[in-house]
Amino acid sequence: MLSRILVPMDDSDQAGHALAYALENFPDADVSVLHVVGVPSMMMGDAVSLTLEDDLDEAAAGRAEPVFERAREIAAERDRAIDTVVGVGHPARNILDRAEEYDTIVVGSHGADRGRASRRFLVGNVAETVSKRSPVPVTIVR
Amino acid sequence: MVETLLLIGVIASIFVGFNIGGSSTGITWGPSVGAGIVTKTTAAGIMTVFVFLGGITVGQNVMETLSEGIITIDLTLSAGVAVLFFIGLGILVANLFGVPVPTSMTTVGAIAGLGLATGTLNYVTIAEIISWWVVTPIIGFWIGGIIGRYVYPEVNRRVEIEKTDGPLLTFDRGGTVPKPALGPNTTRSEVGTTAVVLAIGCYMAFSAGASNVPNAAAPLVGEAGLEVNTAVIIATLAIGLGGFTIARRTMDSVGGELSDIPLLAALFVMVTASTITTALSYIGIPISLVMATVMTIVGIGWGRATRPITFREAVTRDNEARERDIELGVIVAEEKEGKPAPAIGEAETEEVLHGSDLFNPRAVIKYVSMWIIGPSMSTLLAYGFFTLVPGVV
Repeated sequence: MLSRILVPMDDSDQAGHALAYALENFPDADVSVLHVVGVPSMMMGDAVSLTLEDDLDEAAAGRAEPVFERAREIAAERDRAIDTVVGVGHPARNILDRAEEYDTIVVGSHGADRGRASRRFLVGNVAETVSKRSPVPVTIVR
Repeated sequence: MVETLLLIGVIASIFVGFNIGGSSTGITWGPSVGAGIVTKTTAAGIMTVFVFLGGITVGQNVMETLSEGIITIDLTLSAGVAVLFFIGLGILVANLFGVPVPTSMTTVGAIAGLGLATGTLNYVTIAEIISWWVVTPIIGFWIGGIIGRYVYPEVNRRVEIEKTDGPLLTFDRGGTVPKPALGPNTTRSEVGTTAVVLAIGCYMAFSAGASNVPNAAAPLVGEAGLEVNTAVIIATLAIGLGGFTIARRTMDSVGGELSDIPLLAALFVMVTASTITTALSYIGIPISLVMATVMTIVGIGWGRATRPITFREAVTRDNEARERDIELGVIVAEEKEGKPAPAIGEAETEEVLHGSDLFNPRAVIKYVSMWIIGPSMSTLLAYGFFTLVPGVV
């Protein structure tokens, strides 16, 4: 029985589909939504601005809030509640570092950066890395 | 025939300059435009002027290296045009795949490839250039680190960059000469900070001209047929054209990302990167402005993220310090004061976030790799081309 499910989300449609899939197919499981902020980019703008904030936790939580807001809406439509987890830095690494604490991971096939070849080329495809290295089963949702 | 070839060369030079204009105007003016201090059009105008000044003064040293230093022979027109095509190819790849291919390094690579193919490569000069390429990112990183760790927090506590609504200055057009006056909401310090922001932008535009004008201009100078001044003017106009057109987009993308950073931090980055770039251009080393910029940013972030709470700080800021939990020897990335309890219904964050996770070396290595792959590829391609088609030289 899979009772603890990690759903890494960003603001892409696929991430929303992944959460909906997880909630619908695992009606009794505890679903945690992870959002990673300060993702490395060409000029590291996001990451640097985050470290320059006075309180990293607060700043990270503030930036993650819109994603969690949407996640809660998706959950509320299905009368469910979710846990939220904020991470900073590299998305795949954040997911993999936490993977052991869960029974399975449900992830969207492409993040919000799909189509921006730079991110895809440089940051790598999160879903692909996670599915290759995760110690627990991974479901990739389109 | 020669005229046709020169025309092709000038068109290639304009293509290169146009793209350089897009990217360098983006990073130079992105923060100021993002902060609402200048408009995109004003930025492009100032950019053009200072790029010209940088190119015609300090840029000449870099041009000398490119056209006479790296190879022992003078670049002929056909070879210069071919080199421009390789620079253009690098830019095309950068645009298509959105990867940061440094133009200055591609240029040196292409000319070095020519030198290898014809046995005219000046190994001493190329070794000197490459050593600077290795050292520069490290210098940028450490200067950034020192700023992020020690300077920025201090300055940030004292300086506040203001931007009020409404125009900065208004003009009283009653008299014969319009008299400037402060805008309705403008404060005196706002005028001061705006002037500083503009001055730093001009300085960066100057360094962009010094390091980037030669890429578009040098291949056509000398034996290739153009006077230095003519080539610089063509390159400047092309860069200006890029500044007025595609930079509108890059100011939002690359420059926009830079303006995610607080303006004060962006100004530190700009001053550091411009100084490194201008200094190296002065001694004739072709260097990428973007490289210096990125490494300074990463340095500032890293310096800040790994900022320990020192003994001195714990003593001098005793009251604040007492409220925190300080364990000796523990590196605390962020200062926490009176953190509000999470609202009802929200999960409590159990783990502490570490700023240093943001600066995982692997994240940076991917960009650094482009600084190795870019020039290497252009060297190989140019070497292959000039070996297969020896008649071009």
